[in-house]
Amino acid sequence: MASADKPINTDVPEKDVFALHFLQSLSNLRRQNAFNSPDDTTNNRVKKIKKAAYVSMARAAGGTNRLWSRALLRRAAKENNKVVIFSRRKKRVTWLRRSNRRDPVDAERLRNLLPGGGAMETSKLMEETAHYIKCLSMQVKVMQCLVDGLSAK
Amino acid sequence: MSNRRSRQSSSTLRISDDQMIDLVSKLRLLLPEIRERRRSDKVSASKVLQETCNYIRKLHREVDNLSDRLSQLLDSVDEDSQEAAVIRSLLM
Repeated sequence: MASADKPINTDVPEKDVFALHFLQSLSNLRRQNAFNSPDDTTNNRVKKIKKAAYVSMARAAGGTNRLWSRALLRRAAKENNKVVIFSRRKKRVTWLRRSNRRDPVDAERLRNLLPGGGAMETSKLMEETAHYIKCLSMQVKVMQCLVDGLSAK
Repeated sequence: MSNRRSRQSSSTLRISDDQMIDLVSKLRLLLPEIRERRRSDKVSASKVLQETCNYIRKLHREVDNLSDRLSQLLDSVDEDSQEAAVIRSLLM
């Protein structure tokens, strides 16, 4: 069973792709007047921004092409009570979750941290993690730039 | 009903060792902690996983902090200020 040893791609888009998606999300929040409604506590505002960050990151990074981004978007849509239907490209082997019990504790912890990690096979988990980390750090950079830009007077 | 992908993942519970090594080494390169420790080439997979978890948690915390600051900053951006103009121009 020679599995093709093709190099596994963990490339992420450029920073401005993330920036654009994030700014668009923020502008949508603004349009919905999320920042100005009187019954909106600071906590809610922060939560909305955080959610916008994750959702825009998932969209920028690959939308439905990555398991973690699909899981993230699905979770976000569930919170909005939306029904999300993703096209099933591959048969999801969720029954593998049982056989993953022999994973060491560290892999378990990683599964808990990665969106959708619980259903992934171990090797896929590694690949998705690498991509997730790259996207997260890109998103953090974008947010940091925005903060810097806004705080500089 | 098994396309090549699902057959590969259901009958071989691990990818080839080479791919695994390649992935773990990619992960290693992404982790700042381990990158700085040049002398030891042998970092156990367990250590890599631990550092990965720590790094992800750290990134999550940073997203939290930055969201917090953004919420404060965006609140105080006047509609007519320069920053708003910049942001608007970026979105056009």
